Amino acid sequence: MNRYDKSLIVFIFISSIVLYASMEWFVRASTSDKVVAVVTYREEEILRIDMSIDNTYVVEGTLGDVFIEVKDQSLRVEKETSPYHICSIQGWVEFANVPIVCLPNHIVIIIENASYNPEGEDSVIQ
Amino acid sequence: MRKHSPTRRLTLITMLLAMSILMHMLEPSLPIPIPGVKLGLANILGLITLILFDVKSMVLLNFMRVVIASLLRGIIFGTGFWLSMGGVIASTIITLILYKTKKFTPVGLSVASSAFHGLGQIVVLMYINQTVMMIYWLPLLWFSSIPTGWITGSISTQVLKRLKV
Repeated sequence: MNRYDKSLIVFIFISSIVLYASMEWFVRASTSDKVVAVVTYREEEILRIDMSIDNTYVVEGTLGDVFIEVKDQSLRVEKETSPYHICSIQGWVEFANVPIVCLPNHIVIIIENASYNPEGEDSVIQ
Repeated sequence: MRKHSPTRRLTLITMLLAMSILMHMLEPSLPIPIPGVKLGLANILGLITLILFDVKSMVLLNFMRVVIASLLRGIIFGTGFWLSMGGVIASTIITLILYKTKKFTPVGLSVASSAFHGLGQIVVLMYINQTVMMIYWLPLLWFSSIPTGWITGSISTQVLKRLKV
């Protein structure tokens, strides 16, 4: 083994460490612990809501506009157009295992990185 | 590179090819605790061919090994075949580039070949699975290429010392 071989081995060793470190950094940077609500329309994400900011959002459902209100880390469908208004009747939601489903509007709201309701479902399949 | 008669040369390369196919097929049965990591024993025969003969013979041996071993195992044009092919293409290219510089011993060539074999396989996996996430396996493959390449390179050196052709 000559000095060129040794240099190559050192280069590969350093490269593997740099690659590993950069991937670790990328994973940590791209995944955060921030609580967000993901709004999907016909299984396509249309809005990502920061749950730490109190605000009202409007998304377009199949039967009309769906008004989503965020307040004190909780979320609800304020009003929508549907036959029975089930998702607005559901009220405030704050747990990751309790989604809001507006079926006539094809809107589903799921909270991510939040705590789980201990009295809710005992398992969640994602 | 030594001068050989065409018949002798053909016989020797065929014997090296047969041994490399055998190594290629036997290697999966060797117990290595890290998934995806192999010693790369077939690479020993590729290096020996490169040093004893020429670049063309080594390229031919590497590609023939993958094709014939895949045919024998019944995985031709399957995922395993493309993984091997991707690895062989990348490792052959880097070995030839480094060999042309005439600065590396078989150990250095083997370590580089091993590292780029892993890189080639990861590129194929990324294409097959349509995800860049497979690249997370690359640091481990590159790190493991140092001991595995060193072992196969050292074996090649010892074989070349003792070989009288």
